[in-house]
Amino acid sequence: MKMRVRLLAVSGWLLGTAAAVLAQSPNPSVTADQARALFQNDVHQAAGLTCTACHDQAKGDQYAAPARAGIPKLCGSCHTNASYMKQFNPQLRVDQYPRYLTSTHGKQITKGELRVAVCSDCHGAHGILSVKDPRAPVYPTNVAKTCARCHADPARMTPFNKPATPPEEWSQSVHAKALLERNDTSAPTCSTCHGSHGAAPPDVENVALVCAQCHVREAELFRKSPKKKLFDSLAMPECVTCHSNHHIVEPQDSWLGFEGDIGCAKCHDDSIGGADVIKGDRKALDDLSAAIAAASDRLGRAERAGMIIDDGRAALREASDQRVLARVSMHAFAAQPLADDAAKGLKSAQLALADADAALAEVQYRRKGLAVATIFIAGFLVTLGLKIRRLNRGE
Amino acid sequence: MASLGAWLAERAPVGEIVEFLRHKRVPQHRYSLFYYAGGAALFFFIVQVVTGALLLMYYRPSAGEAFESVQFIMARVPFGWLIRSIHSWSANLMVGVVFAHLFSVLFLKAYRRPRELTWMSGMLLLGLVLAFGFTGYLLPWNQLAFFATRVGTEIPSSIPWIGPSLVRLLRGGPDVTGGTLTRFFGVHVAILPGICTILLATHVLLVQRHGMSTPPSIEQEIEASRRPGQSLPFLPHYVLHDLFGWTLALALLAALSAFFPWELGTKADVFAPAPAGIRPEWYFLWMFQTLKLVPAKVFGLEGEFVAVVAFSLGGLAMFLLPVIDRNTRTSRRIVSWTAAALLLYMAAMTWMVLRGGGQ
Repeated sequence: MKMRVRLLAVSGWLLGTAAAVLAQSPNPSVTADQARALFQNDVHQAAGLTCTACHDQAKGDQYAAPARAGIPKLCGSCHTNASYMKQFNPQLRVDQYPRYLTSTHGKQITKGELRVAVCSDCHGAHGILSVKDPRAPVYPTNVAKTCARCHADPARMTPFNKPATPPEEWSQSVHAKALLERNDTSAPTCSTCHGSHGAAPPDVENVALVCAQCHVREAELFRKSPKKKLFDSLAMPECVTCHSNHHIVEPQDSWLGFEGDIGCAKCHDDSIGGADVIKGDRKALDDLSAAIAAASDRLGRAERAGMIIDDGRAALREASDQRVLARVSMHAFAAQPLADDAAKGLKSAQLALADADAALAEVQYRRKGLAVATIFIAGFLVTLGLKIRRLNRGE
Repeated sequence: MASLGAWLAERAPVGEIVEFLRHKRVPQHRYSLFYYAGGAALFFFIVQVVTGALLLMYYRPSAGEAFESVQFIMARVPFGWLIRSIHSWSANLMVGVVFAHLFSVLFLKAYRRPRELTWMSGMLLLGLVLAFGFTGYLLPWNQLAFFATRVGTEIPSSIPWIGPSLVRLLRGGPDVTGGTLTRFFGVHVAILPGICTILLATHVLLVQRHGMSTPPSIEQEIEASRRPGQSLPFLPHYVLHDLFGWTLALALLAALSAFFPWELGTKADVFAPAPAGIRPEWYFLWMFQTLKLVPAKVFGLEGEFVAVVAFSLGGLAMFLLPVIDRNTRTSRRIVSWTAAALLLYMAAMTWMVLRGGGQ
């Protein structure tokens, strides 16, 4: 009886474990026929590999699935071999496996935790596509969706004390807009900041380094600013404090001020020593934006009137570029170089305004010219009409 | 002055011409207004020649320079914007007036004996005016014109045997390139004006020779009343009426050019994908829409080919109309109803494209 109970307990545990492991992988299991069909589009198939390259313990037509914990090593057996890989693609990196071992996923799987991602969870198992293929789950526009399969699932994240909110937060960010709406594949997705094979959350002190990969000038100015020391002493993450991490929205000039609970106002009120600098920076940006809006409006009017305003448009572009620079210069947390950048922008906006005004004046000149010509033409027509009437009467 | 007149009269038949015109009379009736359409077309043609010659001084017919040269004309050349706008507006108004002239002649049956050759030379002139429009549209080398020309020059490819060769001949190669632009420029400023001048001279001469036609209904009314029909001396009465119309046309051209300058668009990029809303000039829209609506296969033949054949046969029938029409009451009625149906069809097809339903 005891023996039967033990057997039942062991069987139950085995079944439970198998079910749990199956539930861990976001890839559903496939039949041999489905696997063969998927493999037709696989990059490995195109490279001349066959089923046995991965399923080395095949018996006849039966291919056992590789053990989950062994998958990274199995893939790494080829993908770490530089001399082997270069015959397929000399540019292909061969450090994916060592990098994977440094990732949170890799560290956990080494400890025997099977609920973390392995190669096939992100790349697929039988229909692996090149990362350059827009259909691939690891193509830039698809990465967030692939990560979200696990990281947006509270059932998977809660056991690891991780929030399941980052994918949703990122989807509302300027980065997601750039990547998914404008198809700007240089815009950051999950792997851009966290790494792909070596995926791990950046430490507080490293966040700024990650952001600086793209936002070079902002980081440079911040490091030289008085804020750097202060943030370090308070253990505040540099960029994240004002911009958040995943839910990064488009910064507004109004953040430079003391209204609401955002930007400077998050920590300061206008009694602080640097309040004048903040107000000065804000005024410079507001003046520049107003000048750009006015120039844009008048150039539009001139263009609709049929004028060619290329010089004005070029000056307006220059003003807009200077505004971008000025907004970046705000990260110095000082009057300069923002004031200089804004002044240059203002000068360009005034040039654009002058061009628009000249074009609008030309439109008026043309209309006046036409009015004068019309008076002459009308006078001629009246004379002609009178002459015709006189002639007709004479008939 | 008198001696100059005598000097001229001795060397050229000026006296005979003046005498002829002094005695020439133009019928006056309720449809007389339509007589002025031909004169208006002539006026717009003269405007085209003058403004075209001025544009030639700055225009450069190459893919690398055409767009920039038109931009230069509009932005930097004094009154260049006006000349270019007048050229474009006048071209469109000319086509409109030419069609009005064509349909008025059709409805008033002015093509009847002995004016068959006047009608035929007029039909050839209509073809030339459309060719002027087609070749001139590409010259600014902007995006819309480039793709519209690509579509337009592709149409003959549906003709069996000679289609592909015709396309190559039109384009000067397998595709629309800078070579096509140079070719179109040559045709637009040299070949077409040359032929047009000869045909126009013939047409005007024939009009002067035969005088204005009186519509059959007016002829019958005159016959029934047993009184001679009303008429107007050509010199100076009709000429002054014509001058009045020309001056009005000039005022219209100036107003349109000043208030609605002709747009230049963006420079053609041969590698860019075709932009949305490609379409030819408005006077080709009815054919464009017909080609879009025609099924892929008609009686086992390529639909586009059938449409091209139908257009060609229609054009030929129009050309030969004075020979086909027996000038009986029934035949005249058939011509009127056919012309009305054609006009309605052209208007409906054009409207379909303009309202966006043809996209």
